Amino acid sequence: MKDLAVIETILRNRHHFFIEIRDGVGLREKMRAMLVSSIMFLALYGAVLGSTHSLWQALSSAAKLPILFLATLVVCSPTLYFFNVLFGSNQSLTQNFALILTAITVTSVLLLSFTPVMLFFLLTTSGYQFFKLLNVGICAIAGWMGVLFLSQGMRIVSAAGRERAGARRNIVRLWIMLYAFVGSQMAWTLRPFIGAPSMKFELFRQLGGNFYTNILVSLGEMLGFFMVK
Amino acid sequence: MSNQPPAGKPSTANQILDLLLDALLERQAARRTQSLSPESKPPVSQPPPPRTTQPRRPAPPAAIKEPIRRQPRPKPGPGDEGREPPPLLPSINLDKTLSRLLVLIAVLILLVNVPVTRHGVSLARIMPDSAALIIREGLILKGSGPEIFKLEDDKLRWISSLDAFEHLGLQWGDVHLVEDQFLAKFEKGRPIHVLLKCDDSPHIYRLENQEKRWIKDIDTFMAEGHVWEDVRFVPRDYLREIPDGPPIPEDAGPPPQL
Repeated sequence: MKDLAVIETILRNRHHFFIEIRDGVGLREKMRAMLVSSIMFLALYGAVLGSTHSLWQALSSAAKLPILFLATLVVCSPTLYFFNVLFGSNQSLTQNFALILTAITVTSVLLLSFTPVMLFFLLTTSGYQFFKLLNVGICAIAGWMGVLFLSQGMRIVSAAGRERAGARRNIVRLWIMLYAFVGSQMAWTLRPFIGAPSMKFELFRQLGGNFYTNILVSLGEMLGFFMVK
Repeated sequence: MSNQPPAGKPSTANQILDLLLDALLERQAARRTQSLSPESKPPVSQPPPPRTTQPRRPAPPAAIKEPIRRQPRPKPGPGDEGREPPPLLPSINLDKTLSRLLVLIAVLILLVNVPVTRHGVSLARIMPDSAALIIREGLILKGSGPEIFKLEDDKLRWISSLDAFEHLGLQWGDVHLVEDQFLAKFEKGRPIHVLLKCDDSPHIYRLENQEKRWIKDIDTFMAEGHVWEDVRFVPRDYLREIPDGPPIPEDAGPPPQL
């Protein structure tokens, strides 16, 4: 539980936290603490999602949600690092990694804070499409807050190398879009997280369709335009 | 009458411009002094630079003397120059709060997953789920009545008996409780019976109430609405162990012995 102390530092003393990342102070310890905390928070949130379907789905989602975020981190961080280097950044890959991990930690702690809300809706509503869209909305809010943290952290950490700071800022903005795109596709690949009520438990579902059309279809069914078959 | 000022006397516009120029020069000089020695007080009144052409003008109207407003400088953001890092905030023991929250949520997740009904349904899945269904082939549905249906080709097929239910490999957990209006959306299809046959015999039996009912001939088979695809092949010994029930039709006579 010692690792949880990092959450308070991130949430309350973020400026000092980012300065320490910039100066490379205790990077390994910070990253370990963030990794442990994020995995715990995401696993619990995933377990709540999967509980709508079955115990197996709860366990599967508890394992898959941390994988989703960490795999997205691994896939996207080299892009941010090399583009930053191209535009004059002097950060190391580890510092970049730590910064993105900070964003994931913020996202995961916010998701944890939404867990009681999800549990409440889990017990009081049975609308699969509603539950799915509620989860997408919550993930979007938590993810947005996470990338805001990342953007702020980038400004502080890259303050040392002032040359082409504007270009790097734009890179971060573009990278955030890429991160969201990769993250949504990763979520689609690793689905199901909630598990359709009429279907048997499956660890991974066959590929087909995409995240965005599925959300539109869910919206369409919830608003009564058609029935999903 | 001429609009030209008399020679040697400047016009009003010129006077105003000169005054503005004076004010600007004063301001510039004051700023320069401030930036050179920040400790020293800014000069309150500095003599204007010497004039060569124009004598000192009378004071302008009050409206013109209005000071030039400075644009407020944008507050520096994080990482910007001149940004003071905020003071380090004292701890509020968030880690303890978080660990308590983690334990609480873990316990709640366990609780909602514990089966609470005799059918093994947990709190998390106890809500009637007609609104939650993804309509698919093979869906098992039950309304307010005792009948259980299987959805096939967009038609509801009544599962005629518990034997048929078990023969289909179904469990109570597969059954989705729905409103009757939801069931009414679908057409009714053929009922599902368990029809059994062994390789060594031409006879077909219908399983009902854990008894096998011999179907007399193919005409009866067809008249009962059965199709060949519903017949399941089982070993002769298995079929022999099931007790005989009344034949179909009931006046068909004694069933043949296997």
